[in-house]
Amino acid sequence: MNMEFRQAKLDNGLTIIAEVNPAAASMAAGFFVRTGSRDETPEVSGVSHFLEHMMFKGTPRRTAFDVNREFDAMGANYNAFTTEENTVYFGAVLPSFQTGLLDLLGDMMRPALRREDFNVEKNVILDEIARYEDQPRFRVYERLMGQHFQGHPLANSILGTTESVRAMKLEGMQDYFDRRYSPGNVLAVGVGQVDFTPFVDKVAEMCASWPSYEVTRATAPFAGTKTRTIVADRKVNREHIGLMSPAPSGQDETRFAAQLAATIVGDEAGSRLFYALVDPAIADEASMAYDPMDGAGAFLTFISADADRAAQALQIAQAEFRKFMDEGPSDQEMRAAKNKIASSATLKGELPMGRLTAVGFDWVYRKEYIPLARQIEMLFDVTRDQVMEVVRTHDLASPTVLTLGPLENL
Amino acid sequence: MAEKFFIKELPNGLTLLGQQMEHVASAAMTFVVPAGSAHDHSEAAGSAAVACEWVLRGAGDRSTRQLNEALDSLGCQHDENVQSEHLAFSAAQLGRNLADVLAIYADIILRPRLEDATFEPCRELTLQDLSSLEDEPARKCMLMLREKFYPYPLGRCVYGTAESLRALTAQTVRKHLAAHFSARGSILSIAGNIDWNAFCDLAETFFGPWPSRPQKPPKAVPNAPGVTHEKKESAQTHIALAYRTVPISDRRYYAARMAETVLSGGMSSRLFTEVREKRGLAYHVSTRYHSLKKHAGLFTYAGTRPDVAQQTFDVTLHELRRLVEGIEPDEMDRARTQLKSALVMQGESTPSRSSALAGDWYHLRRLRSLQELSDAIDKVTVDEVLGYLREFPPEDFTVLVVGPENIDTHQAYGA
Repeated sequence: MNMEFRQAKLDNGLTIIAEVNPAAASMAAGFFVRTGSRDETPEVSGVSHFLEHMMFKGTPRRTAFDVNREFDAMGANYNAFTTEENTVYFGAVLPSFQTGLLDLLGDMMRPALRREDFNVEKNVILDEIARYEDQPRFRVYERLMGQHFQGHPLANSILGTTESVRAMKLEGMQDYFDRRYSPGNVLAVGVGQVDFTPFVDKVAEMCASWPSYEVTRATAPFAGTKTRTIVADRKVNREHIGLMSPAPSGQDETRFAAQLAATIVGDEAGSRLFYALVDPAIADEASMAYDPMDGAGAFLTFISADADRAAQALQIAQAEFRKFMDEGPSDQEMRAAKNKIASSATLKGELPMGRLTAVGFDWVYRKEYIPLARQIEMLFDVTRDQVMEVVRTHDLASPTVLTLGPLENL
Repeated sequence: MAEKFFIKELPNGLTLLGQQMEHVASAAMTFVVPAGSAHDHSEAAGSAAVACEWVLRGAGDRSTRQLNEALDSLGCQHDENVQSEHLAFSAAQLGRNLADVLAIYADIILRPRLEDATFEPCRELTLQDLSSLEDEPARKCMLMLREKFYPYPLGRCVYGTAESLRALTAQTVRKHLAAHFSARGSILSIAGNIDWNAFCDLAETFFGPWPSRPQKPPKAVPNAPGVTHEKKESAQTHIALAYRTVPISDRRYYAARMAETVLSGGMSSRLFTEVREKRGLAYHVSTRYHSLKKHAGLFTYAGTRPDVAQQTFDVTLHELRRLVEGIEPDEMDRARTQLKSALVMQGESTPSRSSALAGDWYHLRRLRSLQELSDAIDKVTVDEVLGYLREFPPEDFTVLVVGPENIDTHQAYGA
């Protein structure tokens, strides 16, 4: 596959990048805004995510229905998501719709924020909060982030609470938008069968008039609180356990070693936690992920077990962490994990939608483009010692722990 | 672009399918075996689910650990899935590793160890899967709906019941495997960066000796429509309803898919517009087509706050019924574009393609090209969709409500 990287910058600071793959059957485009719940003040908790919904509600020249209708009329596969630190709007279409897609996405980035839409959509957000309330695993994630990062902006909830969303005012949202959606804080990304010159022209047509202003973010490093919290809820059937330890940030060169560590210790099958917990059926789920963030990072482990085996499961997981810090991985584990990660990246990379976030986030976090083949080389260059080093430096075995389920003590 | 399809049946009845794709390094494989959960004896419900775990616990010369190591070292991304009619094994990797992966799957399918010592954890994990459903009310709601909707036992929950799982023995599950792991009735499909002739030679070597067993479809007893309320102190009320449609092999299939897309294809679809956009009743509302070989349904789900559950149900039901009254030309156009665009995008993915090949063969005994699908979608007229809707009207619903309180559903049942 012959991929070509292209970039351009508008005078107001908006950056445009593309990984052009002439052999692809489709193209995808996204606007990556470097903003999320960590950039919120407590009185507008949940505004990043609520605003993401409102961006689909129309512009001065489009109604909400126009936005939806136009996406569907292009046969687009489209959506948006909000995390603690990014808000991303994206769509994939057949290449002939490139200009139409950019016209729509670009226009959406300057929303009308109409009051009647705001009031209706508030109910949708409240329902979304209720929807996650019925998912113990999500509740564990949200509360664990809050505990581990207590006192740091990464502790902020993405959805906010029923109370904070109910109390939210349109003016507060408008103010947040005006602080965060400056062109210098927005990245336009294209992947797949992109025609780059018209791509840049169209983005310029849509975005060049946006006024530019300074946007800041606090990115203090944070070691985590290493606290232990038991949330008893008898409506929950099983015990859901979350463990979080510090890990390299999205800017850190040891991130490949961290990814290997998470795969070896906690991939869903064939990992140390799999053999220690799932293979003998002590837990039905035990998996670890590495989450690189802006100036911080986390190893995040989820375990789900019968309540009467939860204490045992937690003990075993922590013993596995300790053992991995002491011994490090075997050569066989290194080989298998590298092949697993490389194969998964290759498969994802064959679809424009699969490459979009990878290409976008490489730029958001490090202002760099790394071709997939180079990334795989960097992964294969990681040594056993580097993997051991990364878990020792970040003290994998002293996590913040949070459990949710029927148990009151653990 | 014209696809390169390949079809071959081995003398023992195993069907091999292939599609060669340009510009990809990966090759995906789908292996479906006619040992799905509908074949479980009712007192041994859950056998297929336990079997699906168990066959991965060591096979041929390899222990569980060696098996995982071998697949991982080949960069094999695999998944095992229990369905009503089949166990489905899928594996995606670089094309150059396909041959080695196939050799391992020959062990998994033909020579699983099925040791007594590994049986207990597999049964235990299935019991835990069952109990996990209590913490996933949306999923539980859809599984229960499927069970009530399809003729029994075609939609039965694949995990069985706590009683049936506790009663299960290693011997029962071994019998399930012996009876239903059969060359005839199984389909092995590959798509991507493949060498078809080399693959056929290997498949013949590995699977040529695999015997066939007589396969008969499970006896299915129709379910009556009706309402079930599962009381649960959940934050949302989960509402699901299903009604009958045509299976994939029916000539009205494309009309049914167009109806589904107008109702729920994108954010401009009727359900999304009326339930979420105009009224803010639910974050998620959707209708999905699902087909078994001879039975199919349109399944609608909405998760909603309990105080507006009744209104959500009423608006949803109204939209399902209103479709029969007419469809605007621009709605038809959007639905066509959406369905065709999705085809092209899925056509770029090797796992989607290998799974689509196996699906086509199972349902139709032939493979459909992108062109054929696209032409068929182009040809459907509004009158055909409305004609289909009159033959298969949104009536006789099976309804499932999981939540703190029930809702009034009497209007779902005729005048």
